[in-house]
Amino acid sequence: MNQAITIERSVCLIGSPNCGKTLLFNRLTGLSQKVANFPGVTVEIARGELSGQRGVSLLDFPGTYSLEAISAEEQVAVDQFTQALADPQLGLVLCVIDVTRLDKSLYFALQVAREARSAGKPLLVLANLIDVLENHGLDIDLDSLGKDMGAPVHGISARTGAGLDALHEQISTALSAPSAQPEPDDTPNTLLRGSVHQLTRRYGPRGDVLLRTQNRLDAFFLHSVFGGLAFFLVMYLLFQSIFTWATPLMDSVEGALRWLSDLVVPALGPQLLKDFAADAVFSGIGAFLVFVPQIFVLTFVIGILEDSGYMARAALICHCPLRFFGLTGKSFIPMLSGVACAIPGIYAARSIESPRRRFLTYLAIPLMPCSARLPVYTLLIAAFIPSTTVFGGLFGWQGLAMFLLYFFGMLMGLLVTAFVSRSSRVTESDLPFVLEMPAYRRPAIWPLLRKSWNRCGMFVTKAGPVILAVTVTVWVLGYFPNGGADLGESWLGRLGVFIEPVFAPLDLDWRYGVAILTSFLAREVFVGTLGVMFGIEGAEDNMVPLVDQIQASGLGLASGVALLVFFAVALMCVSTLAVLSRETASNRLVVQMFAAYVAMAYLLSLAAYHLVALFSG
Amino acid sequence: MTHSLWDLGRGQTAIIGGFDEELPESYCNRLTELGFYPGERVTCVQAPALGAPRVYRVSNSTFSLDDDIARFLLLRPADSRSS
Repeated sequence: MNQAITIERSVCLIGSPNCGKTLLFNRLTGLSQKVANFPGVTVEIARGELSGQRGVSLLDFPGTYSLEAISAEEQVAVDQFTQALADPQLGLVLCVIDVTRLDKSLYFALQVAREARSAGKPLLVLANLIDVLENHGLDIDLDSLGKDMGAPVHGISARTGAGLDALHEQISTALSAPSAQPEPDDTPNTLLRGSVHQLTRRYGPRGDVLLRTQNRLDAFFLHSVFGGLAFFLVMYLLFQSIFTWATPLMDSVEGALRWLSDLVVPALGPQLLKDFAADAVFSGIGAFLVFVPQIFVLTFVIGILEDSGYMARAALICHCPLRFFGLTGKSFIPMLSGVACAIPGIYAARSIESPRRRFLTYLAIPLMPCSARLPVYTLLIAAFIPSTTVFGGLFGWQGLAMFLLYFFGMLMGLLVTAFVSRSSRVTESDLPFVLEMPAYRRPAIWPLLRKSWNRCGMFVTKAGPVILAVTVTVWVLGYFPNGGADLGESWLGRLGVFIEPVFAPLDLDWRYGVAILTSFLAREVFVGTLGVMFGIEGAEDNMVPLVDQIQASGLGLASGVALLVFFAVALMCVSTLAVLSRETASNRLVVQMFAAYVAMAYLLSLAAYHLVALFSG
Repeated sequence: MTHSLWDLGRGQTAIIGGFDEELPESYCNRLTELGFYPGERVTCVQAPALGAPRVYRVSNSTFSLDDDIARFLLLRPADSRSS
């Protein structure tokens, strides 16, 4: 995505879903588009410069099974491909097929070949997963297949890199060749379908060999009893990974920030500058850096599930229960992505063909317990839940509390979609559930680590400036006009006293009110703001003093639970609102969602407060 | 009596006879593109409990279909393929 380079030629990369197209794109460009062993991962066109070919851009189109669209999103992808074919800059079309599943890929490839011929664009068919055939001792006559298809077929493995050097040469040759003349081709689709059957029978590898392992694993993972148990175990390990297993990494980040703060702050001159650096800058940075390791671990674990092919099985397992709540099994992936961050979850919902179920999924995603809620949960759990662990530290009460909080968020998401689904009139026929079951594959660890690293980088660069700006603003409001001598007399203190009546029913004083207000820009700011309010330097680097202060402030269990409920439900993320607005093309809907979720959060937290107060005496 | 794909039990194989006329043409086309075309052999590979979508194998691919669509694929017995 180097904007400074003038692109002279372009190459289009297209194929059916889950044929390894995006992994190939990353190989050819050195970029890190999201890759998964799950259909529908690419939801918009990605562009990157071809490695070693300056001035040549590669366009990665969303996967589709045919040029006859059955949903609005597929139609957009088809229209974009048609426009690309008319672009004089387009020098080559690369169509990726899954060589292990020719029957699935060939119809689309034949359609693309027909359109490319008609547009006068050269086509190269890339037979991906050639390594899988070799591993099973199978062979395929690609030259003859190419002759029958009317386009050259080149065997590659996007996973191992086999055949990619030769591919680079073929791309160079094709781009330097003189433009071909359009050859109008109006072969009807019915004829193409007939050709697919013939070609598959002639060249297709033996499925019983390829599917043997897959069927064996499916017999376990989709078993009525063991499959359900495996699903819950996988989900439980996922949650444990982000809380218990990420702790050593979080401790390292905290230690590094403390060391840096101790090094830098004393070297600064005036007291104002020292206070600013310690309380605003290091606090601001610490507020989000401290839970970057959790995002890393979560992205990595979800990546393993996607890459291994398990995610499609999870979608199948979830379909029935999700359908009860008005959703579909395909909602599971966006909702699970929303556990890391709502934004990729919202983008992932594009793969749901049914507009109604996609809309319901949008409603559920902001209630998924995203990583921005983690520092708030971590702080409040540490303040109220004992840190006792069992089984050598593998499982702990705090982890269980986190699990229950996550469960609560998901349950709320489902209840909201069930309510909306049942109370709104159905004006369209829903698209049916048809999901391709990808082959099980061993996850590629290095690309996953790189993806997790990039996700963390994206989070830091996107959320970081907002969080830092909010923290600095809060610090200025809390420091002046009396130089930080008395927070109660500062501008922030006055603002807190003004809004105190709103939070008084939850038995929260003005400091918590101010922290909640600032967290509407980004939830994780809550911890940093509270640290400033309690006059603790680097609260995010080390939460222990802040936890002590919260406990010492007399905050009761009922108020703590009310706060947790509020943060679990309220839609408090500016970035999420912006992306939702773009995806739904409706500002009104987003404003309604924001108002409804904040009102619901307040009422539920009030109910939780009274309920806990009742039982705790 | 005409059987639908949803009636196929785990491990059973049949031949796709056609599509119920109530199924929209675009869905018929998509299913055909995926390999569910009349005359093709289809096997129910997995049939999880509680009405969950079932897993079917056609050619070298496996797909999960729920009852909303599997009911519209009509079958004929596997041994009648050659007739």
